[in-house]
Amino acid sequence: MKKTFQVNLGHRVYNIDEDAYLKLKAYLDRIEGFFSDQREREDILSDIEMRIAELFAERLKPGKEVITLTDVTEVTSIMGDPRVISGAGETRQPEYEPYRGPRRIYRDPDDRVFGGVCSGLAHYFGIDRVIVRLLFVLFLVFGIGLLVYIILWIVTPEALTTAQKLEMRGDPVNASNIGNFFREEFESVKKSFRGEKKNKL
Amino acid sequence: MDFENVKAQMRKGVLEFCILSILSRGDAYATDILNTLKESELIVVEGTLYPLLTRQKNAGLLSYRWEESTQGPPRKYYALTEKGSEVLKELDASWRSLIEAVDSIVKK
Repeated sequence: MKKTFQVNLGHRVYNIDEDAYLKLKAYLDRIEGFFSDQREREDILSDIEMRIAELFAERLKPGKEVITLTDVTEVTSIMGDPRVISGAGETRQPEYEPYRGPRRIYRDPDDRVFGGVCSGLAHYFGIDRVIVRLLFVLFLVFGIGLLVYIILWIVTPEALTTAQKLEMRGDPVNASNIGNFFREEFESVKKSFRGEKKNKL
Repeated sequence: MDFENVKAQMRKGVLEFCILSILSRGDAYATDILNTLKESELIVVEGTLYPLLTRQKNAGLLSYRWEESTQGPPRKYYALTEKGSEVLKELDASWRSLIEAVDSIVKK
């Protein structure tokens, strides 16, 4: 026994198994994610839904009245991978290079020994901050490290706003990243709060 | 060098030309266009057609209207606009000169 849903697809009503529904929903959501222009996205999706509805209709007959997972698998493979549909798979130039926003040097106030210069540089070059700190300690031994550190402390702005912190990490400044950032901050505050409570106990 | 990418780009350009060409013979709904393209093996997965249609429509090359169907819900019929037929003429001319040019080099 399986639970079914009733969906309206391309102006037609279909009964669809729960697992099939979830798969189809995920597929359509993925296609949706590839198109940023709202008007374009609505048009394309309605055309695609209409075609999927047609392909479903071909698979139903008296005695087979429910769309199953197999039907959805067949139909989505006829329609193709969302990446191919969007053309993103064709025009993508560097392999697996995630999009990065502009990167800037800031001092990281959340992770500092003195001024946050080393961790800021580490963010900028994408290396571990411990390595940068070790290098500075080495420079210090040879004499110029302290001066360089102080100059960098003076000339590098501190990343105060969320946008600046995202720029420091090289993440694009957009709504979802700002959301993620706050979620991380919230989690770390929660953790340190719990930690303090434990220490007191 | 990513040759799959080169092939995909070639196919995409030709596909746009062929969509206009199919519609120049008469208005059609998406599945008709799809079937013609599949017969000549120009399209592998069906989904790739729809973004092209939408973009051509938004570029003013195509228009569409809804028509009642005897087999189910109304169908979206695409038609070539005036701008579309002009673009088709240009594409046709450049396609022919391209074939000649490529042939003259490749077949030497």
